[in-house]
Amino acid sequence: MNDPSTILESQDVAAPTSGTIIDIDDLSFSYDLGKTNTLRNISLDIPAGKVTAFIGPSGCGKSTLIRCLNRMNDLVDTAKVTSGKISIMGQDIHAPDVDAIELRKHVGMVFQKYNPFPKSIYENVAYGLRVQGIKKKSILDQAVEESLQKSALWSEVKDRLNTSALGLSGGQQQRLCIARTIAVKPQIVLMDEPCSALDPIATARIEELIAELQQDFTIVIVTHNMQQATRVSDRTAFFYLGELVEYDDTQAIFGNPSKKQTEDYVSGRFG
Amino acid sequence: MAKHFQKKGRRILGWDLQDWIKGFFGTNATLSIVILLLICFYLIREAVMFFPSHHQGLTLYRQTGQEFVGHLIEEVDEHAKIVAMTDQAYYRELDEKFGNERGVSDSYEALLEPLEDAGEDFIDALDDEEEGAQEAWDTFATKTLSKVYKKEIDTFNRLDDDSWNALLASMKGWDPLEGDPPAFVEEARAKMKEGMASFELARAEVSAADDQLDSLRGKLVKIASVVREDAKAELTSAARKIALEQGIASTTDPDKKAELEEKLSEVKIMDSFPFAARSTPMAESKDAHKAAAADLKAKLTAGVAKLPAEFASQPAAELIERVRKKTPDVLEELDESVAEAARWRWDKPVGYFDSALQFFFGRDWVTNSSWHDFYGLLPLFTGSVLISCIALAIAVPFSVGAAIYVNRIATRLEQNIIKPVIEMVQAIPSVVLGIFGILVLGEGLREFSQVEALSWIPGFPMQERLNILNAGLLLALMAVPTIFTLCEDALNNVPRSFSEASLALGASRIQTVIKVILPTAISGIFAAILLGLGRVIGETMVVLLVAGNKIAMPDWGAGVGVVAQPTHTMTGIIAQEMGEVADGTLHWRALFLVGLVLFTISLCINVAAQRIIRRLSHL
Repeated sequence: MNDPSTILESQDVAAPTSGTIIDIDDLSFSYDLGKTNTLRNISLDIPAGKVTAFIGPSGCGKSTLIRCLNRMNDLVDTAKVTSGKISIMGQDIHAPDVDAIELRKHVGMVFQKYNPFPKSIYENVAYGLRVQGIKKKSILDQAVEESLQKSALWSEVKDRLNTSALGLSGGQQQRLCIARTIAVKPQIVLMDEPCSALDPIATARIEELIAELQQDFTIVIVTHNMQQATRVSDRTAFFYLGELVEYDDTQAIFGNPSKKQTEDYVSGRFG
Repeated sequence: MAKHFQKKGRRILGWDLQDWIKGFFGTNATLSIVILLLICFYLIREAVMFFPSHHQGLTLYRQTGQEFVGHLIEEVDEHAKIVAMTDQAYYRELDEKFGNERGVSDSYEALLEPLEDAGEDFIDALDDEEEGAQEAWDTFATKTLSKVYKKEIDTFNRLDDDSWNALLASMKGWDPLEGDPPAFVEEARAKMKEGMASFELARAEVSAADDQLDSLRGKLVKIASVVREDAKAELTSAARKIALEQGIASTTDPDKKAELEEKLSEVKIMDSFPFAARSTPMAESKDAHKAAAADLKAKLTAGVAKLPAEFASQPAAELIERVRKKTPDVLEELDESVAEAARWRWDKPVGYFDSALQFFFGRDWVTNSSWHDFYGLLPLFTGSVLISCIALAIAVPFSVGAAIYVNRIATRLEQNIIKPVIEMVQAIPSVVLGIFGILVLGEGLREFSQVEALSWIPGFPMQERLNILNAGLLLALMAVPTIFTLCEDALNNVPRSFSEASLALGASRIQTVIKVILPTAISGIFAAILLGLGRVIGETMVVLLVAGNKIAMPDWGAGVGVVAQPTHTMTGIIAQEMGEVADGTLHWRALFLVGLVLFTISLCINVAAQRIIRRLSHL
C-alpha cells in the first residue's frame, strides 16, 4: 500500500470500510512559511465509514486542518507543513510523487458557501467527470442521475437538468454541490461548515443527507453548531487555538468530556 | 428667533463655504455637459450640410458630361492595372532568365554617362578630326573605365564578375562618334530579345489593347474639362450677381449704389447654361465608346491568351496567374460600365439618396482635382477596419493570455513585474511610437521580408515600408494595455469559490481556467476587446505616420498579402487635410462628415461595451 500509483491513481481503490482511513501524525502547519504555526502538533485517526466532526471556536484551526486533507492550502503560496505528516489510506499525501490533483479526485470537498458553477445543473454534476476526460454521454447521464438521487435532489430537478444551477434555492444549490462532489466517487468527503449559509429547514435536509451518505463515504465535517455535531457525527474532535484538545466518540465529548476546556465549550461557557 | 442650531462660519453673498464648494463642482459638471452638447451640435450641423453641396457637385458632374467620361477613365485605369501586373511579371521573368544580359545592357547605358559627359571635349576633338585626338580619347577612356565601380554602375547587382570584366573590355574599342554599342552588348541584347520574344509580343498586345478607348478618353476629357470650367465660371457670376443685387437693395448711400449698379451691369449671365448643347459631344460618343470597348475586349482577350504558360520565375507565374483570373472580371466590369455610360443623360436628375450613397460607398477620395472631386468613404473606412482587425488579431491573444497568466498562474513576484510593465506601454506618446514604426519596425519588417526563405509568406517581399501590417502591429501594442487591464479586472471578478470548487473536484489549473474562469469572465473579456477596438479605431497619430497614406481600395487579389499594401484611414485623413481646407467648402464638410462617422462608430462601441459590463456586474 505504499506505492502511490496503486493507491491514488486508480479510481476503484477499495476504501477500507473499517479501521483508520486518515492518519494525522504530529502535524504542524503554517500559513507564513513557518514563522507562526496555525496548527500545532496534531495527531488524529479518522475512522473509515464514519462521520467525524471538527468543532471549536473561530480561529481554532478546524477549517485549516480540513483544507490540509485535500491539500487545498497549496493554493496559498506561503502555506507550509512544518512538521508531521498526513496519511490517507496509508499514503503520505505530501510525498513528492503525490499529485494534488489525483488526491482531490479521492478526497472531495463541499464548501461553506454553496458555489455551483454558472452552468446548467447537469453540467455542474458532470464537471468532475468531464475534467477526467469522460465524454461518453451514457456514462455521464448515469453518473449525474445517480449522484443527484444520492443527494436527494433528483426528484426536484430531473425535469430541468439543462437550466442554470443559479436558479435553484440556497439549500438546493448546496445539495447540488454535494452531488457534484460525490459524482467523481471519492472515498472521503470533506465538508467545511456546509450549513452555515442555510436556513434551518435546508440545514435539516443536509443533515439527513449526511446520514445517508455515511453508508458510502467517510465524512469529515467542520461545524460551528454543536447540536449539529451531536446529530450527525460519530466522532468529534475539539480544537482550541491551533491545538487538538480532545478527540473522542461524540457522546463522550458532549456527555462526559475529560478536559475542562471541552466542557466549558460544549456547555456554552465560551466560544 | 432661533439662537441655537444655526450654521456657523462667515457668509459671502449669502452663501457659506459649503455652498460655494458645492456650486463650484456643480458648475464644472454642467459646463462639461454643455460643451459636449455644443461639440455634438456643431459637428452634426457642419457634417449634415455636406449632403446638399455634394448633391449639387454631382449634378454638375452629370450635366457637364464628365460623368460619361468618368466611365471611360475608370475603364482605362482598370486596364492599366492589368498592364502593370503583366509588366511586373515580364521583368521578373526577364531577371530570372536573362539577369546577366539585362545587367550587361543596363550597365552599358550607365557607363555611357561618365564617358560622354566628362569626355565631351575629347569627343568634340575627335569630331573635328584634330591631331592626336584618338590617342587622347583612348587614354581618357581607359582611365575612366579603370575608375568606375561595379556597385555604382550595376546598381541591382545583376552581373557576375566575369561579365562585368568582359563588358569593360568590350568598351575599350567603343567609338564615341558612332555611338553603337559594342558587339558584346549587342549579343546580350539579341539573346534577351530572342528569349523573351513571345512574352514581349503578348505583353505589347495586352498593353496596346486600349489604344482606341484611350484616345477617345483623351479627346473627351479635354472637351468636358472646358465645359466644366465654363459652367463653373457661369455659376460664380450668377452668385456674384445675386450678391450685388442684395447689396444694392440694402445700401442707402447713393454713391455706393451707383458703383454697385455699374458693377452689376458688367456681370453677364445667361438665362441658363446650355448644358444640352455643350454636352452633345459626349452624348454622341456613346457608339464610339461601345466600339472602343469591344475592341479592347477582343484585343485584351487575345493578348492574355498569348501570354506564356511556363515561367522560370515563380513570382512571374503567380502574377500571370492573377492576370488570367482578373481579366474576365475586368471585362465583365467593362460591360457593366459601358452599359451604364450608355444610360447617361445630362438632364437626368441626381437622386438625393444616390448622392448620399456615393459618399458612404464611393471608392474614390480625390480632392483638389481640376477634373472632379470625389468624396468616397469606402477606401478610408476599409483602411481603418483592416488596420483595426490586424491590431486586434494580434493584441487579443497576447493581452488575454497575459491577463490569464498574471491573474491565475503567475507568482506574486511575476505579477509585480508584468503588470506595471504592460501598463507602462500606455505611457508611450503615440507620436513616438509612430517614429519607431517608421524608422525601426518599417525598415526591419521590409528587410525581414526580403529574406529568400520567407518569400512564400503572402505579401513578402514587401514593396512598401509603411503599410497596413506595420500600422496594425503598432496599434496592437497600443491596444494591449487597455485589453490586458480590463481583462484582468474581468478575471478578478470571477469569484474565488469557482476556482476552489473546480480544483477540489480534481481539475488542474489549466482545466479550471478554460472550463470555469474563462466562460464566467467571457462577457467581461468581450467588453475589454470592444474597448480595445474603440481605442484602435480612433487612434490617429500612429496611422498617419505609419499607414502609408495612400487613398485607394486595397487590391484584394493579393489575398492575405493585402496587409503589405499602404492605406489611409478615417482619422488620418482628417488630421492630414483639415489644416489645408477653406472653411465652409465641400471638402471641409466632407471631413466633418468623416468625423461624424468616426464619432458614431466609437459611440456604438463604447455603449455596447458599457452594456456588457453592466450586465456582468449583475451576475
